[in-house]
Amino acid sequence: MNILFDIRYYILYPSFFAPIILPGLIFTAILLLTTIWFERKAAARVQMRVGPYYASKRLGGYLQLVADALKFVFSEVIVPDGVNPTLFALTPVLVVAMSFLPLAVIPVSVIPPSGSIFSIYFYDFYDPNVGLGVLVGLFTQYNMLLILAIESIYPAMIILMAWSTNNRFAIVGAVRESYLSVSYDVLLLMSTISMALEYHTLDLVKIVQSGVPGILANPLAAVTFFIAMIIGSARFPFDIAEADTELVLGPATEYSGLLFVLTMAGSYVGNFVYALVFTDMFLWGWYPLSGFPGALLTVIKASILVFFSVFLRSVYGRYRLDQALRGSWKYIFPLAIASMFLGLVVGYLWIQ
Amino acid sequence: MSEKPIDVVAKLLQERKIPLKVEGDTRGSIEVDKSKLVETARILKEIGFDHVKTVTGIDYPDQSKFQIVYHVSSFDLQLSRVILALKTWTSYKEPVVPSLLSVWGSVWTGERETYEMLGITFEGNPDMRRLFLPEDFEGVYPLRKSFKVKTEGLFVDKSS
Amino acid sequence: MKSGGMELDIVPVSGELNVGPQHPGSGHLRIFVKLNGDIIEDAEIDPGYVHRAVEKLGENRNYIHLIPLVERPAILDSVNMNLGYILAVEKILNVDVPERAQYLRSFAAEISRIASHLYGMGILAIFIGHSTGFMWGFGDREVWVQILEALTGARITNSYIIPGGVRRDLTPAIIEMTKKAIAFQRKKIKDWERIFLNNPNIKARLQDVGVMTREQAIEWGAAGPNLRGSGVYYDARKSEPYGAYSKLDFEIPVYKEGDGYARTLVRFEEIEQSLRILEQVIKDIPEGQILSDRFFKQIPPTRLKKWWEGQRRIVMPGYYASFRPPKGEAISRVEAGRGELVYYVVSDGSAKPYRLRMITPSYRSIYVMKNLLKGARYADLVSIYGSLDYFPPEADR
Repeated sequence: MNILFDIRYYILYPSFFAPIILPGLIFTAILLLTTIWFERKAAARVQMRVGPYYASKRLGGYLQLVADALKFVFSEVIVPDGVNPTLFALTPVLVVAMSFLPLAVIPVSVIPPSGSIFSIYFYDFYDPNVGLGVLVGLFTQYNMLLILAIESIYPAMIILMAWSTNNRFAIVGAVRESYLSVSYDVLLLMSTISMALEYHTLDLVKIVQSGVPGILANPLAAVTFFIAMIIGSARFPFDIAEADTELVLGPATEYSGLLFVLTMAGSYVGNFVYALVFTDMFLWGWYPLSGFPGALLTVIKASILVFFSVFLRSVYGRYRLDQALRGSWKYIFPLAIASMFLGLVVGYLWIQ
Repeated sequence: MSEKPIDVVAKLLQERKIPLKVEGDTRGSIEVDKSKLVETARILKEIGFDHVKTVTGIDYPDQSKFQIVYHVSSFDLQLSRVILALKTWTSYKEPVVPSLLSVWGSVWTGERETYEMLGITFEGNPDMRRLFLPEDFEGVYPLRKSFKVKTEGLFVDKSS
Repeated sequence: MKSGGMELDIVPVSGELNVGPQHPGSGHLRIFVKLNGDIIEDAEIDPGYVHRAVEKLGENRNYIHLIPLVERPAILDSVNMNLGYILAVEKILNVDVPERAQYLRSFAAEISRIASHLYGMGILAIFIGHSTGFMWGFGDREVWVQILEALTGARITNSYIIPGGVRRDLTPAIIEMTKKAIAFQRKKIKDWERIFLNNPNIKARLQDVGVMTREQAIEWGAAGPNLRGSGVYYDARKSEPYGAYSKLDFEIPVYKEGDGYARTLVRFEEIEQSLRILEQVIKDIPEGQILSDRFFKQIPPTRLKKWWEGQRRIVMPGYYASFRPPKGEAISRVEAGRGELVYYVVSDGSAKPYRLRMITPSYRSIYVMKNLLKGARYADLVSIYGSLDYFPPEADR
């Protein structure tokens, strides 16, 4: 039984388990299909339609998404004239890679010293801040900063993608994306910093394990982070860079087939990443559970957040670029400053 | 309302010495030489006819002439009941008419269309280009009577 | 520019975008946009991709054969398209239309107007990214299209109105359907207000966008709801009542703002007014013939027995096949869904019109749109386009 034990050991090893299984590649892929299914089904309910249905009537048309994905995989990838084919094919991959990467450093649960299937890795992923192991691909004590740093590469990849397709609509979309990314990155960073000031740490695990959910400790930061998340993952009403009636599909205009799926997947994965961080930072993450149930609790909370943000499609239209920028700099930015101030004051008074 | 709407207009035009042909309670037509077209249009605008509904070119091949009809009306409550046809003629040899763009902006589309469909140039309109026709359209001026529509037979010939 | 010893070059960020004809936000239309940053400096509108040559074909077809042709350009509003042409032909023929047929014309025209407005709102909604409005617009329209189907036999392109009257009579079943549809639409308009009209996002996209002052609207020759959204009280149904409109009580909604939101509100209030008209028609419609006696007499008795007495349908009398109206010309105007529709028919006494001129409301919007786009933001292109309810096939004809 040594081999089985070895396999189990390696599969459950957090550096493999977190990036590949939960909340990584496999879970995210399933979530991606479920999210799109939910998006279509929920919008259909609002809009007096049925939505996906015929591909599998008993599952509510869930397999339609699988069929769509298969169809995309096998459809031809058209490379336009006058582009660099290597860059053209590479950039969507980079987009997805960059949006997936933070999943490796987001803690999804803690490992108790004994009693959990992960307990054997307790010492390998030991977090001195809380005195527990952490279920995460790569543990650092500064994971809040690392996540945001990696995720902020994502818009740069989108811009690179638009640039490499050499299409005017794509470039206009890229310009819009760059405007937006500046505004939402600032908001994300500021609300994160206000949480860090309040909890005296840059470690998400400590925030969760402190026992006080962030949304109570600093509601302003939660609002700021949530709006920045909606903008950052290009959900309605901030679907500005991809505005289909204005810019065809923005940066993804020239893509088809599998590459198109990758470009589309990027924003959903990005949304999930932000939702995971939001869950950890503001919604109590896995607390009070630990181990595998804790991880499940975290991803379920995050999935509900993702579902909520895709549901906005059936309520809102699309803001104009200048309106979104004015909104984020004129109204949300002061809110972010206020949240920072709140974090400073509360953090000063509340010494843990 | 005892007075017919067109009579009010007729009275106004009589003062300005423009002959109006009354055609029913709310219709009338004015036929002028093309040299007096802009002048007449300005007077009509003064009276309150503030927009042009249509610009129509009609081809009369037997007379080698085009007729251009401007249907003028107003958004004013009373005057809006009247539609006046301002008619002028131009010959095949010199299919040029002064543009009324300076008087009514609303002739823009109509003048452009009449230009491309009948080949009548409106002097003073800066946009004398094709509007609806494709760039590679073969044959000229489709609304002239000399342009015959190519029709497909109901049945496809077997001989070919 | 010199500032503190540092040289600063300001590079103008300008370029052209070719929006359409293959573009999700252009319809069958090409808009050549010259951009400076996000601002549209100039827009060249290139229509004609769905040109049907109605005017040329009109000179090659008999009068009656033109009915299906003239309603094709705006199939969503085909009753009004049909009605305008018939009014012009009737003027040349000098026919009296029986009262009941007049009411039926108004009835069909108002249903068509509601359907057309709902379609336009749906397109506007999807243009600014609001997919729910899109689906609702098309979903609500279905109800009205089904009434048209029950009344005329076709969902769109009804060819319902013929010289001297209409083709089919109203039945109690259709009246029942219409009553239900009116109640449904009233309820839905409340929902529309909640999710679309009062949505801060939609307001932000439409208010103060594409502002057209009263003077500009008159100068550019805008038509219909676009004109009334700019504060001009003008409606062909009031200025020159046709059908039964002189006996029906309805209001013309007018807004002074002249922006996209005002145009949208005008359309929604017109739907409400159309519902009122439908209610009145159902209540007041007189009994009687639906075709002028002059033509009715020509229908052979056997066919009358089969179609008219059994199913209250008109079969076309032989006269229609190639009638020759007297020499003359006529201009007619009707208020179609998108605005004023003008037909100018010149007859030379033959079986075919000598000249048929068709000026559709969207045709008149071309110049309006070109002017409104100047100075707008690029993202406003779609909201201006949508709020004008520009319909390319209608403009191209």
